[in-house]
Amino acid sequence: MNALFQQVYDFVEERIGLKTLEAKLMKEPIKGGSRWAYVFGSVLLFIFIMQAITGMLLMFYYIPSADHAYASTQFIIHEVDYGWYILSYHFWGSSAMVVMVFAHMSQVFLWGAYKKPREMVWLVGLALFGLVMAFGFTGYLLPWDQRAYWATTVGVEIMDKTPVIGDFLARFLKGGPTPGQMTLSRFFVIHVMILPGALMGLAGLHLFLFRSAGPAGPFRGTPDELKAKTDFFFPRQVWKDIMAMGVVFLIISTLALIEPVQLLEQATPDPGDYHPEPEWYFLFLFQLLRWKVFSGEFGQFLGAIAIPGLFMLLLVALPFIDRNPERNIFKRPIALLCWAVVMIGITVLTVSAILNREFLD
Amino acid sequence: MTPSPEKTPSVKLAWAVSWSAFWTGFPLKLIVALLLLAAGINPWEGGGLIALLLVSIPIDIWALGLTARTVFLERLGLDIDAPVGFTLWWQGAVLGGLVLGISYYAVSGAVDVGKKVAAGIIGLIKKVFPHFPIAEQITVELLLWTIPVTILALVLLLIWLKLFGWCIKRLIASSGTTSSASYFERVRQWDSARVPDDVGLMITSFGAAMVLVTIAFWMVLPVTTPHPHQDYQMPEVSKPAKPMKPEDALKKTENSLAKAEAILASLEDAKSKESKKPERKGK
Ligand code: HEM
Repeated sequence: MNALFQQVYDFVEERIGLKTLEAKLMKEPIKGGSRWAYVFGSVLLFIFIMQAITGMLLMFYYIPSADHAYASTQFIIHEVDYGWYILSYHFWGSSAMVVMVFAHMSQVFLWGAYKKPREMVWLVGLALFGLVMAFGFTGYLLPWDQRAYWATTVGVEIMDKTPVIGDFLARFLKGGPTPGQMTLSRFFVIHVMILPGALMGLAGLHLFLFRSAGPAGPFRGTPDELKAKTDFFFPRQVWKDIMAMGVVFLIISTLALIEPVQLLEQATPDPGDYHPEPEWYFLFLFQLLRWKVFSGEFGQFLGAIAIPGLFMLLLVALPFIDRNPERNIFKRPIALLCWAVVMIGITVLTVSAILNREFLD
Repeated sequence: MTPSPEKTPSVKLAWAVSWSAFWTGFPLKLIVALLLLAAGINPWEGGGLIALLLVSIPIDIWALGLTARTVFLERLGLDIDAPVGFTLWWQGAVLGGLVLGISYYAVSGAVDVGKKVAAGIIGLIKKVFPHFPIAEQITVELLLWTIPVTILALVLLLIWLKLFGWCIKRLIASSGTTSSASYFERVRQWDSARVPDDVGLMITSFGAAMVLVTIAFWMVLPVTTPHPHQDYQMPEVSKPAKPMKPEDALKKTENSLAKAEAILASLEDAKSKESKKPERKGK
């Protein structure tokens, strides 16, 4: 057995140089040793791969037409063997992806890993963040129930308010005056072709840039101390990454079993007594738009487009504004305060939106 | 280099041991919970909860033993000659029960005080911003009174850690021996506490266990949704012929034969009665 394995290994080694590849992939030095804080990026890759696998399985049965999308989704839930579990895993996987993106961004922000020479890693990361949110937005329409239809209607209306490109963007996404077959086709293609392709390409670039700059490592400790504790990527970091992936897999599966996907009524252009509401990770924005200051045409533009847009621009500019090489978060009080304010703000708005939905509306 | 056990703060020591022990045991418990859920048993209540707690005991003992030995070796340079996992587990559990008992009363008191203070602060905010939306008000209020409650919970956790740290120090004092090995040899030593010499065997058995768990999971997992949509109607599909069961078939034949016999008998009976009757008209 071992001899056979050795022969196969030697065969491949002679042709593609496995040893150098292995050395490049596994022997990457990690300053200061392996850490649990570094698992988030790898976990994101893992969740993405699982989304791709479960998504392909769903596509075996799903029909992206306004006449059949709802029925085929119901068919997946009620009749395809284990279809309900695969769909529910895909659903909860998308939430896990958003949570992990926030965790990963927080980690690299708090560790000061966006600073020189990792500005480009950060910028590509921001593009990846946009892709993850776009995945959620486009996937939400596909089951074609009331929730899907109305969240999309509201979402596209909000986009329409963007200056210059808004009108084009909304018309391009809708493909007609009201959401219908054209919208579904476009969202489907974006969700299963364009976004996965873009994410794979950009994630590759992200990793290439990350490897070129090298991991930032801990923000404390003298160079000598860090050097003494430096370890290779394999085996300790690989082990930590695998354990984190396992735990994330178990948590997503548990959620899929506790709260499996259930559809509402099939989409109709009449909301009836249904209150349109986006997926939970857009709820904070949705809640913000209910504030008095953001009512009216200009207010809506301010809350839905200007503030989030400026915030993203600020994140883009961050590595170029914050040029202080200090990485220790406890010596960057403004950064720590800003992070806490953003996190508390998002939490308060999200909880408020849920309270509104459950008790007040 | 290596700090002496007496000088290491007991809270820090207890945290190092219990935090990593928690994460060591957590994935295993999650697997058990997932299997229970897939089998339609709720692991957060009743029998499911009891099963989960029972399974957790050996997992916790094992995890505590592993992480405590690692911490002793790596940070303190100590070998321990005692059943570390079991000793620390029961001591930690007793202390945990004690602290939980106290916290039950302390936390509910803090919640009351916190709520009053939060209501006061909200009143102030409303004077400045009279149009503060109601949902945000409730959320901020929730946040305001959870802060003191969280602080109290942290203090209680610290008390538990302090007490648990003392237990750990006592254990070290009674059965710890200083290891003469260098830092790197010790690292190798605690690596091999996790990874046995025969890596092939470990990977095989680990893989086999994963395969078994996976098979068990798919076997208990319901094939179609446990929460069907109330409007969804299963389309009529021509049902495949039921498999034939000889015993049932025999019984059925016997039944219908008996029925036929009964009908025959009643017919004959009727006939004989009829023949006794006077002849009908028209015949
Ligand atoms: C699908 C989304 C993403 C994937 C798959 C991904 C993947 C990864 C991976 C595997 C690493 C290597 C080490 C680590 O995990 O810390 C990494 C590092 C990094 N990522 Fe991401 N990432 C994503 C999104 C983001 C976002 C949204 C940002 C920030 C805006 C970001 C910024 C960074 C930075 C600055 C590093 C360097 C960290 C260091 O040097 O310690 N990434 N990413």
